[in-house]
Amino acid sequence: MRPTAAISGSGGKDDRGLAADGVSFAYRGGEPVLIGVNAEIPRGSLVGILGPNGSGKTTLLRILGGLLTPSGGRVTLDGELLRSISRATIARRMAMVPQETQLAFEYGVLEMAMMGRYPHLGAFEIEGPGDLAIARDALRATGTLHLESRLFNTLSGGEKQRVVIAGALSQLDERGRENPSRPRSTDVLLLDEPTASLDLAYQLEIRSILHTLNAERGLTIVVSTHDLNLAAGLCRDLILLDRGRILAAGPTASILEPSLIRTLYGVDVDIARNARTGHLTVVPVARSAELPQP
Amino acid sequence: MTIGRRIAVTWLLFGAGAVVVCLVAPLVGSTSINLWRVFDSSIPFPDNTDAQIFFVARLPRVLAGALVGSSLAASGVVLQALLRNPLATPFTLGVSAGAALGAMLAITFNLSSGIAGFSAVPIASFAGSLGAMAIVYGLARARRSGLSTNVLLLAGVTLNSFFSALILFVQFLSDFTQTFRTVRWLMGDLDVSSYAPLIAALPPIGLSFAAFAVLPRRMNLLSISDESAASRGVDVHRTQRLAFLSASLATGAAVSLGGPVGFIGIVVPHLVRLMVGADHRLVLPASAFGGAAFLVACDSISRTALAPLEIPVGVVTAIIGGPFFLWLLIRHR
Amino acid sequence: MAAHTTSLIAVALLSLYAVSVTAQTRPQRIISIIPSVTEMLFAMGAGPRVVGVGNFDRYPPEALTRAKVGGLIDPDIERIISLKPDLVIVYGTQSDLRAQMERAGIPIFPYQHSGLADITQTIRELGTRVGRHRESTALAARIEADIADVRTRVSGRPRPRTLIVFGRDAETLRGIYASGAVGFLHDMLEAAGGANVFDDVKRQSIQTTSELAIARAPDVIIEIGAGTASASGRNLRAWDAIVAVPAVRNKRIYLLAGDGMMNPGPRISESVRRVAEVLHPDAFRK
Repeated sequence: MRPTAAISGSGGKDDRGLAADGVSFAYRGGEPVLIGVNAEIPRGSLVGILGPNGSGKTTLLRILGGLLTPSGGRVTLDGELLRSISRATIARRMAMVPQETQLAFEYGVLEMAMMGRYPHLGAFEIEGPGDLAIARDALRATGTLHLESRLFNTLSGGEKQRVVIAGALSQLDERGRENPSRPRSTDVLLLDEPTASLDLAYQLEIRSILHTLNAERGLTIVVSTHDLNLAAGLCRDLILLDRGRILAAGPTASILEPSLIRTLYGVDVDIARNARTGHLTVVPVARSAELPQP
Repeated sequence: MTIGRRIAVTWLLFGAGAVVVCLVAPLVGSTSINLWRVFDSSIPFPDNTDAQIFFVARLPRVLAGALVGSSLAASGVVLQALLRNPLATPFTLGVSAGAALGAMLAITFNLSSGIAGFSAVPIASFAGSLGAMAIVYGLARARRSGLSTNVLLLAGVTLNSFFSALILFVQFLSDFTQTFRTVRWLMGDLDVSSYAPLIAALPPIGLSFAAFAVLPRRMNLLSISDESAASRGVDVHRTQRLAFLSASLATGAAVSLGGPVGFIGIVVPHLVRLMVGADHRLVLPASAFGGAAFLVACDSISRTALAPLEIPVGVVTAIIGGPFFLWLLIRHR
Repeated sequence: MAAHTTSLIAVALLSLYAVSVTAQTRPQRIISIIPSVTEMLFAMGAGPRVVGVGNFDRYPPEALTRAKVGGLIDPDIERIISLKPDLVIVYGTQSDLRAQMERAGIPIFPYQHSGLADITQTIRELGTRVGRHRESTALAARIEADIADVRTRVSGRPRPRTLIVFGRDAETLRGIYASGAVGFLHDMLEAAGGANVFDDVKRQSIQTTSELAIARAPDVIIEIGAGTASASGRNLRAWDAIVAVPAVRNKRIYLLAGDGMMNPGPRISESVRRVAEVLHPDAFRK
């Protein structure tokens, strides 16, 4: 088991990116959920956090995104400790897309995209034409601009997910407000089970959008999932999480390996490269005779 | 229209509507009064019946209606956002039951403040509401450092039941007249006939509205989910605390002033959302103004429909609100 | 001679029969839950035969020594039955209690508050029912004479417009309940030489808002309170808020407190007199 994730990013060696150092987490009075997690996610990565249910994936994602404070260890963004960065600053650089969004109230699609502008506005500041343009751009990037006058609740699952991603994009958009003298900081999009509740066609759509955002904008993308094939088809790097500990981390091709899968899931799988897509595919074959490693 | 323009228009339209209703209402009543006589300063006040009716009987009543109506409607909006449920009311979390228990105790045990113009009932009622608020808050906080909305809801519903049981017990101890008075109190009554209770209600209501002024945008984000609000930089725990405390304080003050008048906290926000959408920067001020206008209008009906008899204002809001609500449910189905 | 004896025997038998019937129908164990009826029973001398009273029955003091069997809304039926009564006075609205008594085979006497005249009427009927016919007739006659005396004293005098209030929230003008044109309070007022400002409202009670009080402009306000003056907790200064009302301006606001004031029982003539004294003080000067 390799304790530290060695992940290839988009650029050369620099200390930019998201990193977890010895992160542990337990709910008050509860069992530990994460134990001694070390992970490095360089700027521009497309990383999947993979593991069975209960392995701590969502918790790790939330800690990386600054939504949960770890019980032990620390998280840094571009070398800065997360806990020393203001909430609003974190919000401008990291956005979270939850698995599902159920609205109790009838917000419109454009409104949902505009809500991402919150960390960029002052206390009583109202969104201006610049913010409106950013929101529209974000909708366009996820192919949902034609839905802007619709009510969110009337959309299909796939459309909803794309609008939420657009909201996250508008949240990260620094246009008009960034300080040109500072080097571009790492923008991170974190997604929790982004395709779990979606039909096949929408799954492909989301994958394609995420891939494009990473390739064209250099957006760092971290996806937590239990779907091996999503991980195989989308992520360049993987972090395997086994009951709160890192089992392995590294490029997808080396991590997606039968013995590791067997350890993690207790299932024997066939891994093959698909000729048409070029991606690895994982086919479960049988429950494994061996028990998972402690 | 940009959001900025929409906010301005909403404030103007709804604000003007509320002002108009409040200006017309004191002119309406079972006795006809002459507006010139009311403001005729040559007639000494003790002799000027029209002025007395206007300034002592009607105006405080209209102002009370505006305060109570706006507080209940605005609190309803805030609690609906906090609990992510458009069916939540200002009474969902037990504050009104606490107020009712306080009032009932004051009536049954004949508590008296001993000062002319100050009844012990509103004071005891407000104390009861604060007690309920503290209990619910304490229960919801017990687990973690934030406010679990599920626990909040459960605590509120449980407290409602428990206090209702206590209220029944207190009624059992009361005699016939006291029981009648408590039942009447539950139907709502805005006839304050003095400015003192209004002035007393201003500090808690003012504080709450100050909080309401800063909440709307955060309520938008929070009403989607804790996580998405946190991800956008909202201090979720602090916002939840502020929302709960301010909405409960406003509700407690309103109920102490006019009794637990129902349906305002749910009918007005619903209607307003149908008109302006879901953005709380529009919904909250529009509901506050709408609630004031709605209650003042209902109170005018209450004191004119069966004159000289008065229909308790809570009955009027229920007669109007109930069918409206049914219609909403059918429409949504 | 034979006919004479036969008629004597017939008369004797008939008398025996009459005595036995009277003895049978004359209740020995009476229960009354209603304060005014309890008073009536004691006033007509049936007190010794009263075995149970209501929780709120306080007059005469003797009544306090009897067993308590509950109130108007919640009579303690078990207690009532355990006392083995042979007459229970029930209030007209207590249909449950009635049904229970009928099932248990206990005779009842139904009664309901109403106008002034009903009070003496009830005294007579009750008197016959419990076998104190003579005493009850005398009692009723005395009450009627007292009231007639009051009427005479105030006859011909102008009737002040009066607001007769029997309930109000302490310290404020909220929750004012006044008598409408129906009921013994209204009749009392009328007998005492007053005119009810709510003459047109055909109800027993009406909630009086401040606007209504100002609009009706009573010359006199009478607050009826139970218990002692201080215990009733009514601060009359609260009325100062509506100084346009003649009664407030001329300081003709009176609090008539006392246990018997709200009670449509034998002491009603005293209550009528007290009201009359306040409305027409010069008619009662010695």
